[in-house]
Amino acid sequence: MEERETEGVEESPLNLGGGIGPFEPGITDPLDGGEVDDTVTSGWRLAVRSFAENKLAIVGLGILIFFVLFCYVGPHVYHSNQISGNVLNSDLPPGSGHPLGTDNNGYDELGRLMVGGQAALEIGFFAAIIATVIGSLYGAISGLIGGLLDGVMMRIVDVILSIPYLLIVLIVATRYSGTVLSLSLILGLFAWLVPARLIRGEVLSLRVRDFVSAAKVMGSGRTRLIFRHLLPNALSVVIVNITFQVADAIIAIALLGFLGFGLQYPHVDWGDMLSTANTALGNGYWWLVYPVGISLILVVMACNFIGNALRDSVDVRLRRR
Amino acid sequence: MTRVLEIEDLSTHIQLSRSVVQAVGNVNLHIDAGETLGLVGESGCGKSITGLSIMGLLPPGGKVVGGSIKLEGRELVGLPDAEMRKIRGNDIAMIFQDSSSSLNPTKTIGEQVAEPVLLHRGGSKKEAVDRAIEVLDLVGIPGAKERLSDYPHQLSGGLRQRVMIAIALSCDPKVLIADEPTTALDVTIQAQILKLLDDLKERFGMSILLITHDMGVVAGRADRVNVMYAGRMVEATGTKEIFSNMRHPYTQALLASIPRMDQDNTKTLFSIPGIPPDLTNPPPGCRFAPRCAYTKSDCQESEPSLSGSEDHVVACFHPVMDGPLKPEKMVTLSHGVRERAGEGETPLLEVIDLEKTFPVTSGAILKRKVGKVHAVSGVSLTVRRGEIFGLVGESGCGKSTLGRMIVGLERPDSGKVLLNGEDIFSLRGRTLAKKRRDLQMMFQDPYGSLDPRMRVAAILREPLSIQGVESAKDQEARSIALMREVGLPSKALERFPHEFSGGQRQRIGLARALTLNPKLIVADEPVSALDVSIRSQVLNLMKRLQVSHDMAYLVISHDLAVVKYLADRIGVMYLGKLVELARGDDLYSRAAHPYTQGLIDTIPLPDPEIERDKKKRVISGELPSPIAPPSGCRFRTRCPRAQEICAIEEPKLRTFGDQHYAACHFPLVEPLEEAASASGQTKI
Amino acid sequence: MAGYLFRRFVTSLVVVLGISMVAFAMLHLISSSPGRAVLGLHASPKAVAAFNKANGYDDPIVIQYWHYLLQLLHGNLGYSYKLNQPVTSVLGENVLRSLYLSGVSLVLAILIAIPLGIYQAVRRNHLGDYIVTSGAFTLYSMPSFFLGLLLIQAFALSLKIFPPEASQSVSVIGVIEDPRAMFLPILNLVAIQVAGYSQYMRSSALDGLGQDYIRLARAKGLSQKAVLTGHLLRNSILPMITLIGLSVPALLAGNLLIETLFNYPGLGLMFYNALQNEDYPILLSYTLIAGVLTVAGNFIADVAITIADPRVRLS
Repeated sequence: MEERETEGVEESPLNLGGGIGPFEPGITDPLDGGEVDDTVTSGWRLAVRSFAENKLAIVGLGILIFFVLFCYVGPHVYHSNQISGNVLNSDLPPGSGHPLGTDNNGYDELGRLMVGGQAALEIGFFAAIIATVIGSLYGAISGLIGGLLDGVMMRIVDVILSIPYLLIVLIVATRYSGTVLSLSLILGLFAWLVPARLIRGEVLSLRVRDFVSAAKVMGSGRTRLIFRHLLPNALSVVIVNITFQVADAIIAIALLGFLGFGLQYPHVDWGDMLSTANTALGNGYWWLVYPVGISLILVVMACNFIGNALRDSVDVRLRRR
Repeated sequence: MTRVLEIEDLSTHIQLSRSVVQAVGNVNLHIDAGETLGLVGESGCGKSITGLSIMGLLPPGGKVVGGSIKLEGRELVGLPDAEMRKIRGNDIAMIFQDSSSSLNPTKTIGEQVAEPVLLHRGGSKKEAVDRAIEVLDLVGIPGAKERLSDYPHQLSGGLRQRVMIAIALSCDPKVLIADEPTTALDVTIQAQILKLLDDLKERFGMSILLITHDMGVVAGRADRVNVMYAGRMVEATGTKEIFSNMRHPYTQALLASIPRMDQDNTKTLFSIPGIPPDLTNPPPGCRFAPRCAYTKSDCQESEPSLSGSEDHVVACFHPVMDGPLKPEKMVTLSHGVRERAGEGETPLLEVIDLEKTFPVTSGAILKRKVGKVHAVSGVSLTVRRGEIFGLVGESGCGKSTLGRMIVGLERPDSGKVLLNGEDIFSLRGRTLAKKRRDLQMMFQDPYGSLDPRMRVAAILREPLSIQGVESAKDQEARSIALMREVGLPSKALERFPHEFSGGQRQRIGLARALTLNPKLIVADEPVSALDVSIRSQVLNLMKRLQVSHDMAYLVISHDLAVVKYLADRIGVMYLGKLVELARGDDLYSRAAHPYTQGLIDTIPLPDPEIERDKKKRVISGELPSPIAPPSGCRFRTRCPRAQEICAIEEPKLRTFGDQHYAACHFPLVEPLEEAASASGQTKI
Repeated sequence: MAGYLFRRFVTSLVVVLGISMVAFAMLHLISSSPGRAVLGLHASPKAVAAFNKANGYDDPIVIQYWHYLLQLLHGNLGYSYKLNQPVTSVLGENVLRSLYLSGVSLVLAILIAIPLGIYQAVRRNHLGDYIVTSGAFTLYSMPSFFLGLLLIQAFALSLKIFPPEASQSVSVIGVIEDPRAMFLPILNLVAIQVAGYSQYMRSSALDGLGQDYIRLARAKGLSQKAVLTGHLLRNSILPMITLIGLSVPALLAGNLLIETLFNYPGLGLMFYNALQNEDYPILLSYTLIAGVLTVAGNFIADVAITIADPRVRLS
């Protein structure tokens, strides 16, 4: 370092905070860049902190954990026969032996709630992952390549987005037997459009940011730009999107099930359990409607709470930059 | 004189979700009839909050927690909203900084100007509209009557600002609060608006509270000046007094930090160390003490209150008595490099006839070209080894595009950029990537130019790993050395960009640019996002590193004073053209192009003597559209000397002295004999 | 401006063409041999082939698409072999009843959501805002039919104020004359839509309230009411227009569920029945129309924005 070519400057580059004579104010050292906080807070840590401060997010997380435990650990604790129904026991009101009664096939409703919840959570999660992966890749490619390809790709998105999701999903569902995998695929394959648009928009806005220009000026190649700068920065949008996708997919399962296009009997998800809800209410079998309905709403709400909090905390990170 | 507005002990707090910002505390000020009071300070000092407190328009969470605001003896604090509404826009009016967002985009100009008239004066709609035409006329809107049905987006920035002033004037307010009225505008437009405010004040005898960060703006027109720092009033006195006989160390330091046009640029600028305190948790005692050169132990213990005579108060235990800081005290920078910037050898950078247009398209799929923006039109210049070349011009003049082409971020339509004699646009792949080592860039936005997800260590290592130079261990050592050079502790390497202040981030940006030991750094508005006291730190640092690293800068800025301080030679751009090029002193003392002279005249100087004597020569009109630039000389539409030939023939660069060139048919100084410049290709 | 709208129109046409391709492709993939579906499993392969040939189902795919497109342009949406009726007439029987249900609920939802959103924005983080936001959030996290179930339980089964089934009247006039029977389905649709729109309006209005021009309007001395109606309303409704234009798919999904739940003979119930019957010509025609309506909704929103926003109109 040959910075000593300057004359007369107090040579105290590392003596931050002092080194200047009390009545020589003119000689402030440009080498004093000011203090830096002692605590390191990464962007993610900041996001986590802001997330943790959001009470609703914690509640949401709690609800979600509760239902995961309820659905997966529950059956090991609370044993009920979910293999074969017993028509003699059908439509029993809650009482001893059946805390939530039985359904019209004589299955224990509480046990059914656990099994149905597994399917709902799995489909919601898989569908969200499928939609987000396809959407992110599609959006990223479209945004990164740009030009004519981008135009064509986005028109395709316009076309599919113009076809109402529920209608097309139902039509496809009439043809494919209802398994967890097929339902996840159907829901996921028609839900990637929104994330595709989101990611494309994010990539486009990142592309013109100064730090990307800076990397170009350093001689960075395309690959590095994409993998070191663009994608990591777009990742937060993807993560926020997944939670909302889970919520949407669980709602979609409920709709499909309600209309009779859910899992194939005897498999069941929460939506299927509501397919006879209207008649059940008419007959006064409330236990067949409210426990499952409320569980479903709580899980969707939990996902939405978490999604909102994640979005806010990511925003916080970006705002503070 | 009657006191129109009097504020005593005003305290305003802003409640945030987790903390309280003590935005304003113990502010005292008064304005007499027909007087202009300047309220100055850096961003976050509470000057705008003071203005909004007067209007009762504090942002959500904001509340006046103490003190009094009296308008002609009537207390405004605690006044019911219904009463306060009768005062707002009627007795006290306010204009804001950003006219593009302050006017309602879906209402016509006429509606917006007539609105307060109808509200406060009653009367018919027709009378209100008549009054609107009258005030629009008054603020210099050409063809006011025809403009009534225009929407804000149809007007230029300057005209919109005039409309906002018209709204404020429409009910003949007693006090006009102007909050940074010209900050968002270009210097030539700023001068027009300031002149308008001066004229209006003279005609109507209003009192004006002029809130600004720009000492130059207050110097020219304020009768008295109040200085704020970190939510406190630190000094208040007459304008002349504040510039020549200030008492508060902050005032003294602030004024000394501003680069001036007539400054000796071989000396360092004064700068205030550190950054202003966090107002959610202000330090006990004097808030300036941590940055003050005169601080003593008592400064940290209790807070000084305003004291002094009637016409000069100051809040300081140890006021300064010796007036402005003398430039002799500043450090002289070595001249070694610049003298070595020899003649004869190949210049480091040669820009030859660079041309760039951007297509203006419309349409979603079939992008039809409907025109093109002439961003840079035939610009040639050279930068020598170890030289600082300044490029100055208003927004839209093409200076940033030129800078981006020089570092290869944009491809020119035609022309060449030669680095050490080699055209960078003829290079491809690895060779180009390698060449980029010599050519780095520093960006304007300290927030956007660092990847928020990378630690500083990774940011500084990135150029080295891209270029594949040095081992990991060497890279680390290099990062530590660089941090030291830019004055940041090495522990900062583990931090993320968001943990730094704006000035610190610019330092990191500079360190990153230095990593590859470039021969040239293009610095695009390197300090314009920074406050004055931070700005001078960065300017000094840039200058110092330039000397120690033996490199050249191309500094791009709208601020002639900054460029003048940094640069050896300066190029002036107007609407895509280089209109004048000269050594800094030469340019300042004998500008040849009327535009250059206009720029020099319109920049407000922090010196009341000069500002008041300055003949108010302002460049009239506004920047023409770069889509259809004027024929011939592009400046002719705004030039006081323009004649017929200017529209027909484009002026060529002519020689006006040693390394002094300008393109004008009717220059302000005589060119050297025609023979010298007629030889055609003048090498500049 | 005219140029802008023209280009938007052309883009819309391109998208509509794309939708027709998707609808055709799906029809083709799902029931490539309608003969088998129509004639039943016991028909001889010969008869099936003859049926397919007679109806052009064995032509090359591009030719089939071309015929399909030509038929569409002539307003022929195909034939429902299950119902033995042209698709257009099936749609025609149901369209008015659905239009009534959707139209009334959409208009009511907008009329409620806009003031509600502004109220929330103005009273941000106060009790009223919290209550509305929580309600909207709950509704938003609920499958739309579940609200219907709750309404049926409360108003039809427990209180017995309204019938649990919607009007079964064949004519729209009959439906309109029976508001009691329509109360619950309309309330259900309105509630779900208000939940979405009001939150959007809230954020749009919050955005507006933070703008400098609102501050300038206040600085003129305008009252809160004058600021809200004179300056905030128009600017913050602009994004709502786009949202409403985008809401056709949600509207149709709502119809499908609510009509099924309340057994209301509209397009939604028709679609549900077609699903049960695997009546693909009806399903895909309806999907095609839904897609076209969505594109039309977007385009109309663009036109509306152009008229309402001088920045677009005058550029």
